[in-house]
Amino acid sequence: MSTKTTRFVKIALIACALTLIIAACAPAPTAVPAPTQPAAAAATQPAATVAPTAPPAPKPTDTPAKPVDIELWAQATSTQAPAPPDDWVGYKTIREKLNLNLKYVIIPTGQDGETKINAAAAANALPDFFQAVSTTNARNKVIDLNKQGLIAPVDDLLKLMPNRAKTHYNNPASLAMAKIDGKQMAFVEVPNLPRREGVVIRKDWLDKLGLKMPTTMDELFAVAKAFTEKDPDGNGKNDTYGLGGFFDGTWGQGNRFAFFFGAYGVPDTWDWDNTSNFGLAVRNPNFYKALVEFRKWNESKVIDPDWATINRDEFRIRWPQGRYGIMWEDFCALACVANYPKFDNNFPNGEWVALPTMKGAVAKPYYNSYGGLGSFFAVSKKAADAGKGPAIAKLLEWMASPEGYYLLGFGVEGVNYKLDKNGAVTTDGLSDPTKAWNHESMARFTQMRNQLIYDNNPNEVLARYPDFVTDKSKKPMSPMAFYKFFSTQTWQDSTAGNLIVNPSNRADLQRFYNENFQAFALGTKPLTEQTWADFLKALDANVKANAWEESARKNLQDAGILKK
Amino acid sequence: MSQYAGTPAVARVRRARAKPDVPLAMRVQRLARAMWKHRWYYLLLIAPLTYYLIFRYIPIWNAQIAFKDFFALKGVEGSPWVGLQHFEAFFNSFYFSELIVNTVIFSLARLILGMPIAIILALAIHESRFLFFRSLVQTVTYLPHFLSWVIMLGLLLGLLSPSSGMINEMIKAAGGQPIAFLTSTAWFRQVVVLSDIWKETGWSTILYLAALLGISPDLYEAAEVDGASRWRRIWHISLPGIVPVIVLITLLRLGNILDVSFQQIWVLYSVPVYSVGDIIDTWVYRSGVLDFQFSLATAVGLFKGVIGLILILVANSVAKRVAQQSLF
Repeated sequence: MSTKTTRFVKIALIACALTLIIAACAPAPTAVPAPTQPAAAAATQPAATVAPTAPPAPKPTDTPAKPVDIELWAQATSTQAPAPPDDWVGYKTIREKLNLNLKYVIIPTGQDGETKINAAAAANALPDFFQAVSTTNARNKVIDLNKQGLIAPVDDLLKLMPNRAKTHYNNPASLAMAKIDGKQMAFVEVPNLPRREGVVIRKDWLDKLGLKMPTTMDELFAVAKAFTEKDPDGNGKNDTYGLGGFFDGTWGQGNRFAFFFGAYGVPDTWDWDNTSNFGLAVRNPNFYKALVEFRKWNESKVIDPDWATINRDEFRIRWPQGRYGIMWEDFCALACVANYPKFDNNFPNGEWVALPTMKGAVAKPYYNSYGGLGSFFAVSKKAADAGKGPAIAKLLEWMASPEGYYLLGFGVEGVNYKLDKNGAVTTDGLSDPTKAWNHESMARFTQMRNQLIYDNNPNEVLARYPDFVTDKSKKPMSPMAFYKFFSTQTWQDSTAGNLIVNPSNRADLQRFYNENFQAFALGTKPLTEQTWADFLKALDANVKANAWEESARKNLQDAGILKK
Repeated sequence: MSQYAGTPAVARVRRARAKPDVPLAMRVQRLARAMWKHRWYYLLLIAPLTYYLIFRYIPIWNAQIAFKDFFALKGVEGSPWVGLQHFEAFFNSFYFSELIVNTVIFSLARLILGMPIAIILALAIHESRFLFFRSLVQTVTYLPHFLSWVIMLGLLLGLLSPSSGMINEMIKAAGGQPIAFLTSTAWFRQVVVLSDIWKETGWSTILYLAALLGISPDLYEAAEVDGASRWRRIWHISLPGIVPVIVLITLLRLGNILDVSFQQIWVLYSVPVYSVGDIIDTWVYRSGVLDFQFSLATAVGLFKGVIGLILILVANSVAKRVAQQSLF
């Protein structure tokens, strides 16, 4: 090798080494330090574009020289779609109208999202404004973050949002769920339509096998058995199951099979009907009866045996493939224009119909329990200390104004939607139907809609869940008909469950509970009155379930739900 | 690491180099001169050393939160000390012994089953005379390494699902009852170990192949001239030639015996198989990370690190005495 070449190689090596070092040592890219906005000054700024009494136009001197940076973390409405692009008209409008630089970061659903929030909290790096997601209980997440001193009270910010308070924070019971020691520690947003899931059955299969609509658990079992064994789709293969579902990682049977236990009066983890001796539903003798029945279904192989391992995505691949005859499903996941075609294409003659609460097992059966609140959104202490609270309030108030509501909920008028003569959103008459707000390619531009924008007003609900005619079978479909049926069944109110604080050994307790429940359900552990009683004793002895029940009673007594 | 490291000859050289009668100043000067002579190599070392310093050594300071009640707002130094509270919480967990047993079983099964298969595959590839076939086998066996465990779950469900898995379809066609491989306590461990071997064996052969290529071809030629069969050459040349690498990998694996692939278990396990599938890392994720008990998670990490260090020291000492091979 010549001297020149050697020198060149050496210089190249040094350059490589230095590049690596610089890359390793370089700090993570951070936003330009946000200018702090004096609270008093910000509070006097116009709160919204449609405030009942429009404040005077701000003087040029009221506007800070530099926009305030706001980082928002929230789950996406459409998990299949990405975040809005940097040149999104929403960012531009927010910058121009509110003098805010919004950075919107989508956090994953499920435990991944919770991990992201926890990791950021541990590093004291929570964003300015974020969705306090939790797989067990969002209120518990707010309690944890408050204990760590990482979030700030938002009582003062609520006063800066008169319009949003009317449309989004108008349920004092919901807001109270985020109150800790008398302080409002998070906003509780409007929940996605409550009681929106239900049991549906393949009517075409019933007709083919000459079966009548079941009304009791015994009849339902007979139908499920026939769906499994009598080739209801007529394809000559043994490839169907009476009932399909999946375990959602919560407690016991999870939400997908809760209707089964609801028929026995115990759809929730807690026994809400037993106010005199409130505790876990497993203590109720009816729970044991329901479990015996559930085990019978499993042992008869009328439930898809993969239910303990598959997740929601896999479940939603399977039912449009015609694998199940009965299932518990969300009305929109079942019947909305974006979701139903997969099933319709495979089975143009297929027909799902809603089933009511199954009767006969106990005197007071339930369809399921409902306790869902809207998303909890918190302001980080760091952001509050930097004076960003009023800016966050300004953003939220704008989101509830006509301009923000339509832009972030439906897109650009005339391009993504139109307003009909009644002021309702419609996609009729759009020059490019692929630009319609509810077209899947447009989902990225309205990602915040379910979390922060929608308020469930009647026009909005009609726009979100319109009736339609299916492409392949030309069948009229009405998602709202399913919703109305589901939501008017008899549900057990378990909203107060949000007040129960998780025990410190939550992970061990939940594992012990679920592991034993599924062993009993799947038949890997003998289920007799004796083994069940042994399990209940072990629940107390091994993982202190009784201590958690005691603490839960206290939580509910303190909140005035139970008598002391 | 040289295959001669730890041998008596190397020890003699070391002793000679460290003569006590050489003044310190002169030894420093010699060292500086040697470093200057090889300055380009030292310069290249800076990047990896900086990486280890920043990402591996400086964070050790934060491990003190294992003994503290960590408050993010107060920071690592400001959080109050709580002694061994978090270690006690882990040791007193109802599942402590089960977690240790599961973790060690998975680790040892991978070591005992996975390593010989990788060595056999490396020897087979090395001995292959057909370049195309060799490249094909290497590519095919390396590929699964690049699949994530989420993808692997999809593949495993396609094979093992009791409702539609290919293997269960074959069992049903043969008149048998489908087996719930992924939810059966009798089968889950086998699925974990075998799927790991399937995914990682090809990739593991790289080190052994590199060691085999480092053996002088003269040795093979001489053995061939002496009439040694192919098996004899493998037994007397190839295997002894890669013993240092085998010892090295075994020692490093022993140090990580309480580390099992978190992603794999997290993706594959489900409630019915917790009793045979739950490992320390999945417990830490549920109890420490999801339940916001970062001090507890750190305490368990520290516990694993100490056990790993003790195992490495003991195994290194045993390897030095028994096989005259060691890490240090």
